[in-house]
Amino acid sequence: MSDKKRFHKPGSLQPNIEDILQWNDLPADAFEPATSEEKENFIQDRRSVSYWKDAWRRLRKNTVAMVALVIIILLAIFAFVGPAVVPYTYKQQIRGSEALHPWHYSLEDQEKINAYMEEHSGAGKLSPDEAVEQARKEAEAKGTTLSRVDEAKIRAKANVSQQQASDNEEKVTEADAVKALGIKHSMFGYSNKELQKKAEGEKVFPHVFGTDDQGRDIMVRVMVGARVSIIVGVCAALLVLIIGALYGSISGYCGGMVDTVMQRIVEIIYSIPEMLIILLLSATLKPALEQFQNSGDGILQSLVTLLGPNLISMFIAFGLLYWVTMSRIIRGQILQLKQQEYVTAARALGAKGGRIITKHLLPNCIGQIVTTTFLQIPSAIFLESFLSFLGVGVSAPLTSLGSMCSEALSGLTTYPYRLFIPAVILSVMILSLNLFGDGLRDALDPKLKK
Amino acid sequence: MTKYTVRRVCMAFVTLLLVASITFFLMNAIPGNPWLSEKTPSEATIQALNAKYGLDQPKYIQLGKYLKNLAQGDFGTSIKMQKNRPVLSIIKEMFPVSAKVGSIALLWAVLVGVPLGCLAAFKRGTWVDSFLRVLCTIGISMPGFVVATLLLHTFCGGIEGLKVFPALFDGTPASYVLPCAALGFYPMCYLSRQTRTSMLDAINQEYIKTARAKGLKNNKIIFKHALRNALIPVITYLGPQIAFTLCGGLVVETVFSIPGLGRYFVQAIQNRDYPLIMGTTIFLAAFIIVMNLIVDLCYKLVDPRINLVKGGN
Repeated sequence: MSDKKRFHKPGSLQPNIEDILQWNDLPADAFEPATSEEKENFIQDRRSVSYWKDAWRRLRKNTVAMVALVIIILLAIFAFVGPAVVPYTYKQQIRGSEALHPWHYSLEDQEKINAYMEEHSGAGKLSPDEAVEQARKEAEAKGTTLSRVDEAKIRAKANVSQQQASDNEEKVTEADAVKALGIKHSMFGYSNKELQKKAEGEKVFPHVFGTDDQGRDIMVRVMVGARVSIIVGVCAALLVLIIGALYGSISGYCGGMVDTVMQRIVEIIYSIPEMLIILLLSATLKPALEQFQNSGDGILQSLVTLLGPNLISMFIAFGLLYWVTMSRIIRGQILQLKQQEYVTAARALGAKGGRIITKHLLPNCIGQIVTTTFLQIPSAIFLESFLSFLGVGVSAPLTSLGSMCSEALSGLTTYPYRLFIPAVILSVMILSLNLFGDGLRDALDPKLKK
Repeated sequence: MTKYTVRRVCMAFVTLLLVASITFFLMNAIPGNPWLSEKTPSEATIQALNAKYGLDQPKYIQLGKYLKNLAQGDFGTSIKMQKNRPVLSIIKEMFPVSAKVGSIALLWAVLVGVPLGCLAAFKRGTWVDSFLRVLCTIGISMPGFVVATLLLHTFCGGIEGLKVFPALFDGTPASYVLPCAALGFYPMCYLSRQTRTSMLDAINQEYIKTARAKGLKNNKIIFKHALRNALIPVITYLGPQIAFTLCGGLVVETVFSIPGLGRYFVQAIQNRDYPLIMGTTIFLAAFIIVMNLIVDLCYKLVDPRINLVKGGN
């Protein structure tokens, strides 16, 4: 079994399945005769526990997995219910609320800050145009007109004085003003307009995470981004499950020449550098799908419109390359299970291959299938964010956590939270999915049954 | 051994051929052509350009010609990004940068990850183990760009007094620090998890018990008996890890503006520079496949217990 160690490519985003494959291997001591004590224990009355109940019981004892589950549920609520609660939409550009921080100062404090900044930053000095304007007004009041030369002189003077002001004095930022005045900021972002509305007693929904340069609410965008991630993860995992189960069960059940040929194909796909091909696939499929979308209004076209070409191209890229892992697991299991007596019995009763696979073989490796499918979700999310970050994934106006991170990169020093919020949510999501997947793996492993 | 090697080399060629064909047909499926820029050229100009670069011929003939040239070591010439420059010379210029960053990253990942994994295995159940486990699980859950931008923010001006490293890559030793740190973090965590598992496997083996019963010193048991066997599975992970470090480099190259091959590849796709896309894909794919092959063959050499003839099936 030289290929066994190759089941997982590290660095590949595909989940590690090595130990899942060995679940049904019998340990050497399984064939030792039971002692009389063990036999007695076995006779003891015990209510029968179903496979899932038993797995759930073990899973519940795993604190880490349960905490991860709670976080996953909270994130799902955040992503799917959240956008309905917040009155803004992810592409709505709110006028007057551009580039808000996730905190605000009350109106009085803001005036104080502005006054302080004006006083200290030399903004009180006139700009050349303003100086000329003022001089012109004065001249008019006196009844004379300004000559061109005078105008140029005033302009130069104002220019110099302004330059000196900005050279000599330190630049006073808002943060310095706040520090000097000892003003405390309060949570959530509001624009001035919204603060006035609030003062008048109207209800205004705050921009909890602030807004971006185009006045779009960051929290809604994060929610929608998380939703995109979850949808991509779940759909990709299901796609992988369908293709992998079909391919793996046919290859395992038929055996012989069919199996050999199918396995050579799997081996070749396995050694393709997946990242390169996925990058290329998602870059090429998107425009192709867009063209298809605009080519008419059949059912398929409207389906493409519904899901968005970028999501579909990602599913295809994922489905084409990642089913290999799943098919190997299922093939391995089916090779083992098809030797069992109940399969022979089913065949003797005249059951067809398809029925044996779906009714007898696949249900018996459900544990492995569930675990592997679940572990595909975080790897798909990882990949989606990777592609979106590079600009070949989800594209505007739709957003995703990865593309939000790459947008935030340019203003990192001024608005670090624009990067950290989506990054933290993405990492927490992947982390808790990984932890829960590990817990699921332990809970469904019959070897750990006590 | 020979049979296995021959089989693997044949498979490698088939894979490479497949990658070349997939890339070729995929990039031809992208709508648009390389000649579109701010000014849309006239129909006649496009036709003339297509004829000049052989793009007017049927696709399969184009592919056949390309593969023929490729067999003679000719990667073609760039038709857009750096007009009329041989692709091979572009690769020669870009790849060393990527390779340098990648190999330093991988080196520190191995040098730190493996000892940490051993430490966790030997201190199993203590706070050291739990701490390392949490760290490594977090590490493999953070996408590369998160780590890279976090580092960028922390050390390039985000926090006062910590501005030690340049934010833009300029080839100086200091500018290598952050990209390599970011790129090596994931493999480090991965390797350490891997080492911990295989080390735990190894120290529960009978021969370790025997060594202990014989009264060997702890150090000798670890380094002479346990580590050697525990490292075998770790070695096999290096091949694919090289591939990952190269491809994960795309993100790091973007964040730190490193003029590497990965970033150039993404740009080539966006610019529809067909020969450049083909050239870079085939070059990177060949590199990754060859690395995997070498590591796999080494693995067979290192572990004499593996049956090579049976391994073929």
